Amino acid sequence: MLQAIELSKTYKGSVALNALNLNIDPGEIFCLLGANGAGKTTTINLFLNFVSPSSGAARINGLNVVDHPLETKKFLAYIPEQVMLYRNLTGVENLEYFTCLSGERYSRPQLLDFLAQAGLPAGAAEKRVNSYSKGMRQKVGIAIAIAKRARALLLDEPTSGLDPKASNEFSELLKKLSGTGAAILMATHDLFRAKESGTRVGIMKHGRMVAALRTEDLGHADLERIYLEHMHD
Amino acid sequence: MILEIAKKEARETFRDGRFRILAAVVIALLAVSLGLGWKRYSDVSRQIEAGRKATRQNWLTQGEKNPHSAAHYGVYAFMPRTPLSFVDDGVDPYTGVSVWLEAHKQNDFKYKPAEDSNTLARFGELTGAAVLQLLIPLLIILLSFTTFAGEREQGTLRQLLSLGIKREDLAAGKALGIAASLGMVLVPAALIGAGVLIFLGDPRVLPDTAARLVLLALFYLFYFAAILGTSLAVSAWSKSTRAALLTLLGFWIVNGLIAPRAFTDVARYLHPTPSAFDFAKMVAHDLENGINGDSSTAQRARELQQRLLKQYQVDRIDKLPVSYRGVSLQEGENHGDEVFDKRYSELWDDFERQNAVRRAGGIIAPLLPMRSLSMALAGTDFAQHRDFAVAAENYRRMFIRMINDDITKNAAGKDLYVRGDDLWQTVPEFQYVAPGVAAVLRANLGSIALLLLWTFAAVCAAWWSARRIEVL
Repeated sequence: MLQAIELSKTYKGSVALNALNLNIDPGEIFCLLGANGAGKTTTINLFLNFVSPSSGAARINGLNVVDHPLETKKFLAYIPEQVMLYRNLTGVENLEYFTCLSGERYSRPQLLDFLAQAGLPAGAAEKRVNSYSKGMRQKVGIAIAIAKRARALLLDEPTSGLDPKASNEFSELLKKLSGTGAAILMATHDLFRAKESGTRVGIMKHGRMVAALRTEDLGHADLERIYLEHMHD
Repeated sequence: MILEIAKKEARETFRDGRFRILAAVVIALLAVSLGLGWKRYSDVSRQIEAGRKATRQNWLTQGEKNPHSAAHYGVYAFMPRTPLSFVDDGVDPYTGVSVWLEAHKQNDFKYKPAEDSNTLARFGELTGAAVLQLLIPLLIILLSFTTFAGEREQGTLRQLLSLGIKREDLAAGKALGIAASLGMVLVPAALIGAGVLIFLGDPRVLPDTAARLVLLALFYLFYFAAILGTSLAVSAWSKSTRAALLTLLGFWIVNGLIAPRAFTDVARYLHPTPSAFDFAKMVAHDLENGINGDSSTAQRARELQQRLLKQYQVDRIDKLPVSYRGVSLQEGENHGDEVFDKRYSELWDDFERQNAVRRAGGIIAPLLPMRSLSMALAGTDFAQHRDFAVAAENYRRMFIRMINDDITKNAAGKDLYVRGDDLWQTVPEFQYVAPGVAAVLRANLGSIALLLLWTFAAVCAAWWSARRIEVL
């Protein structure tokens, strides 16, 4: 579903991503680990076609994102570190706006149901989002992804700054989404979360993927050890 | 989808307390300025009507006197105000709307550099036109500078574009949303203005007024579209909202304050006009020394006498079958008319040239063509004042000639020649018909072209920049 082929990005001579090869199938949750600047966000931006690759290709559902910038986004949902919403609108109005722009139309009860599925507390949906916590904003982001029936999710450190309970809820939602056949690519610093919810993890360093592992073969301690070994210069 | 974006933009704007306050202030200013404008228009119209009746009455009832005294007594001519002058009083404050018509002199319509306005002086006046030309663009800028730069800064732009929407659609939706918010301010004002004109305006000129109003509204819409397009383009290009706002405020200042002033100065430099004092001196000099500067008044009088003696085959002036006084008065008028035609058309052509330079300034400031069109459709621009001045002067020449002809025919050999009401009544009342809307449009094709060019260029710039907007 999500495919990177020799995907590379160079910014003014410095290599941000170096020949990444990656294939994420429906139902998989692939967690990208690595220090800041390792190329995780660049990978996501390349899939979103927000930056164009220096060489190689990013494909979604077999379509090159550079040649099909609008079609590939039909399959896609993107949840950044901070889901940004329009502060003068309520949660449900925000959801309505974003789903409407992705070409879907839902009735109000359906929209409220998506927010409930995403775990937004009842009653919050009708409040303006300037009163929302970060966890609540991320849930609206998930609701957008659910409503869009996205088949591929790109998540950029979506749980950083969430308390453990909110973070756990978020992981459960991800598992539910991948259970419905979504391919998920998530950049994260949270080794524990990556082991818990990911099906595979990839460790990145200086723009290269230095290791890709199946989480079912690993214990928590193993993952941390391997990660630190790779981070060691 | 574009409509959905527009709806959301408008909804967000209405919920913003700052917008509500700003809109209330602009509506209040617009209402006050239009109200004051209407009062000014109706006061001036009433005074003009009263003055018109009084001057005619005075002329008809001036009693028995020598006709040449009556010609000196003279009449006043009043320039009828178009109802739309309540929106834009144009050059009225600097030119006045009346002129005294009398023997020997083309009185001044006060188009003098000393009284020529500068824009800073005009800025102090609260007219509907000033609100529409300066404050509404400011409101547009404040509504739109965050359009793209703000979404990028907030991070919502990434999310929007990750949904797979076209950047052009986003731009169109946002433009529409801002237009809807503006409509909340402008539509009520336009409806009230139209209502006032229809129910309180002069019904005799209603069709012309309606056509002028529709065109005026249309041109203002083009002007606002030009400002909005420019704002969206700048917002798409700017790295931050701060940069967008500073750039747009700079544009607003150049458009509204610097360019009008600068081009007025450039126009004066390129096409200097004499001071009122120098102009009066030049006219007096020409009257004294002949239009070519080679004949004195006394010399011209001797030549006229020679010609008349020869024409009527007599040897002395007092033997002429016509009144020498009447002939020489008209001869003086004819000479004066030549001088006035030459000097005034030189002066007025220079003013027209100055206006052309100012209009050319429209290349950098859309306000300039907009201001020309606004004044033209309100019937208060220089060209329409000149048209009136020419009509009044022609009337003056006509009625002075009637009086002089009467003297020539009937006063020969009489030491004391007196006439009464019967002669005064043969002089028709001055009637002025202002140029119709078609003629006004023809005279302002340059401004129309510049304004449309601005609108077109700004919309293209907004579209082009929106397509290329950077996400990160």
